[in-house]
Amino acid sequence: MNALSGPRFLLALWRTNLLSVMEYRASFLAQVAGMFLNNTAFLAFWAIYFQRFHQVHGWRLDDVVLLFGVVAAGFGGATCLFGNVVRLATVIVEGELDYYLSLPRPALLHALASRMVPSGLGDLLFGFAALAVVGVGSPEEALRFALGAALGATVFVGVLTTVHALSFWTGDSSLLAGTVMQGLILFSTYPLAVFDGWTRFLLFTLLPAAFVGAVPAGLVRSFTWQGLGELTLAAAVAMTVAIVLFRRGLAHYQSGSALQVRL
Amino acid sequence: MTALAPARKYVAISRIQVRAALAYPLDAVGRAIAIVLFVVVFLHLWRATYQVTGRTVAGLGLRDVVWYFAIAEVVMLSQPRTAPLLAQAVKDGSIAYQLVRPYRFLLFHLSARVGDTLPVLALTLVAGAGAAWLSVGAPPDWRGVALLPVELPLAWLLNFLMSTSIGLLAFVAEDTTAFEWIYNKLLLVAGGVLVPLDFFPGWLRGTAALLPFASTTYAPAHLFVRPGGPGAIGLLALQLAWIAALGSVTWALYRHGLRRLVVNGG
Repeated sequence: MNALSGPRFLLALWRTNLLSVMEYRASFLAQVAGMFLNNTAFLAFWAIYFQRFHQVHGWRLDDVVLLFGVVAAGFGGATCLFGNVVRLATVIVEGELDYYLSLPRPALLHALASRMVPSGLGDLLFGFAALAVVGVGSPEEALRFALGAALGATVFVGVLTTVHALSFWTGDSSLLAGTVMQGLILFSTYPLAVFDGWTRFLLFTLLPAAFVGAVPAGLVRSFTWQGLGELTLAAAVAMTVAIVLFRRGLAHYQSGSALQVRL
Repeated sequence: MTALAPARKYVAISRIQVRAALAYPLDAVGRAIAIVLFVVVFLHLWRATYQVTGRTVAGLGLRDVVWYFAIAEVVMLSQPRTAPLLAQAVKDGSIAYQLVRPYRFLLFHLSARVGDTLPVLALTLVAGAGAAWLSVGAPPDWRGVALLPVELPLAWLLNFLMSTSIGLLAFVAEDTTAFEWIYNKLLLVAGGVLVPLDFFPGWLRGTAALLPFASTTYAPAHLFVRPGGPGAIGLLALQLAWIAALGSVTWALYRHGLRRLVVNGG
């Protein structure tokens, strides 16, 4: 296996996923457009809020739109490219891992990248539309936006994979994972400045929503190497914990002996 | 046989659905956790807001807003989901079996959805009220608490009628998912869940207040915190008017759907 076989394998998976979801063209487009509108509704909330209050702890409408854009692009990218991250616990408890373990590819990567969530594309598009709305100052800003969203997505995938991987020991952890996902999205789309004390501490540690939203968004407008370093470190830690836990969990995995045919 | 005999089967249907919901409680637990998370986030947002603006905005203080939000979220999280069930039944043809059974189709769904949502309503109410109480103290007005047994069923009924109407559109549109999404977003924004209508700009507040979305979420939440306010009677009257109007729409869509239905095979 040469060095390029990994990326080529991923590209092939993503291409197949895209063709698969586009099989039902109308449903695919409805989900993409629906998610775009869904996010727009939340911005309507913020527009009404700031029309009345103008700013909250220094955050204005533009800052929140940018924050929402970074989170949407990161979350959308993650669920487009690694769609099984939202249902990995089900993959584990229903024995679907048998399929991935039987092939000469990294099981976790293969499992995560084997599904695309169509609405994720709506999130991704919304993210870049939000960037356009707040006004891209320069190509560097757009690049920093994409980099921030990608690192935020890595933190998101790492944390969710970790919680889903608990299924190896605890049985189905879907409910916990769903709650963590909801918490990550919820807390990452609100101005970090409104959180203080223990809540703020948790957002940088146990539920690292700050690294999914506020920190990547901060890189776009006021870039610092330290900020980038912290975000990269957070992404590396999140993914390392996820990979180590998943590998250890495999020792506890009990095959579902499910007969699966993939066409 | 007494005059109440026909009602018994619908009560039985509700009871069966309550048991089914209690047998699989994870969904209800998930929603209870969600409401706690929502209240925590909103507490932080509005506390930060009130630190800047002062004690009250448009007549509402921090305690009012947090309790308002908790009640509005209880309505959101315990809404009956008739639309996907009806759309699925139309798509897979099982609606043909439902229509010939010895019950009234719409009453069956009404009683079944009551059963589905009662445990969720109870759990989210306890979790949401608990989180609000721990955050900002007791409810602002106990008359609002007394009104809740009236207001929550009215809001639930509005949600049911809207969701059923959307589901019945499946006779025409087949896939109703997009309508459901739009309806939920309208509840969140125009229904005043995320920001009370009291904070809307004047021109938008007047229009939004007249829509059924406000009667579904804003009315119960606002009446909980301001039950004796000047517009209280008006809010209640508007809710009843929307129930009558949407009830008629639901009935008309049902009759229209029956006329379009073609059942093949045996």
